[in-house]
Amino acid sequence: MFLKSKTFIAFSLALLSFSQHAFSLQFGNPVDSDKLIKISTVMASPDDYLASPITVEGTITGVCEKRGCWMTLASDKRFENLRIKVEDGDMVFPMTAKGSKAIVTGKLDKIQLSLGRTKALLDHKAQQAGESFDANSVTEAMAIYQLVPSGVEIIE
Amino acid sequence: MSNKSSINWFKLNRNLHRDIGYFCVGLVIIFAVSGIAVNHKDDWNPNYKVSHQQISVSDETWQLDNDELLIEQIISHADVSEPVKASYWVSPQEFKVFLKNGNNLSLKLNKDIINYEAIEPRHVFQAFNRLHLNETNASWVIFSDIFAGLLLFLAISGLFMIKGKNSPWGSRSVLVISGMLLPAAYVFL
Repeated sequence: MFLKSKTFIAFSLALLSFSQHAFSLQFGNPVDSDKLIKISTVMASPDDYLASPITVEGTITGVCEKRGCWMTLASDKRFENLRIKVEDGDMVFPMTAKGSKAIVTGKLDKIQLSLGRTKALLDHKAQQAGESFDANSVTEAMAIYQLVPSGVEIIE
Repeated sequence: MSNKSSINWFKLNRNLHRDIGYFCVGLVIIFAVSGIAVNHKDDWNPNYKVSHQQISVSDETWQLDNDELLIEQIISHADVSEPVKASYWVSPQEFKVFLKNGNNLSLKLNKDIINYEAIEPRHVFQAFNRLHLNETNASWVIFSDIFAGLLLFLAISGLFMIKGKNSPWGSRSVLVISGMLLPAAYVFL
């Protein structure tokens, strides 16, 4: 009986010590902290980072509700973020991870939009922000950048 | 001298169909429920219950130069006691506060509202969907391949379980053929 109590106490203490540590979720390969670079630096000249893998970190500000197939990381620069995008099912990011810190290693992907799609995207963003938008003010097509991860670590 | 086989194939088929059928009950339920859930993912979220509550906050002077004070103001208005995990300026007009329990608050300055987003995981559906969509690990893929093989066996062995007037080779072949033609019609029409 005494032994059983001791085992129970040891188990409870182990559980308590585990619960007090910040836990992390790992997806894919381990992240490579040696390649860590600020999101603001990447976004300032994204074409310079297309060639080889990079690692970024930031607070998770949005997650795909239905499939968990993308999330957005807040940049160190205000109002800026970077989308992390995976193929459906490759990694499934939990919606409850919003506000947690994530470290992501992957390759930056450039998607060149047509002028029509650029206008549609900016119109959508303006609608989300509750701002007015004049499609005629956009005369040049833009590119968007997203990180395709090989490894993600989410730290609660 | 009789050449009659000692194996009763009809009985063996029925017994295998019965036992494999019993084994597949749990898996069939998981795949069927998850299939319905995923089919209707545009109508409802099978993984999370997400609800929004809007709190009107007109006539408030916000502490826009101090994020900590601003968070306190928002928390006070929303009347939540959950600890704060992080905060983020989405745009000059929107500030988000993330709570430890996964919920979040958005202050929308241009609309004078705080939006409280509550996120509640649907644990059972999440688990079913993870299995159905092979989001667990490689060994599950092997197991689900075997399960697919068992379903094929159930389908084919089912054709040889009944003899006589109710067998699928007589008038009831209409049902078998209908089951094949229906999906074909969706593909070709």
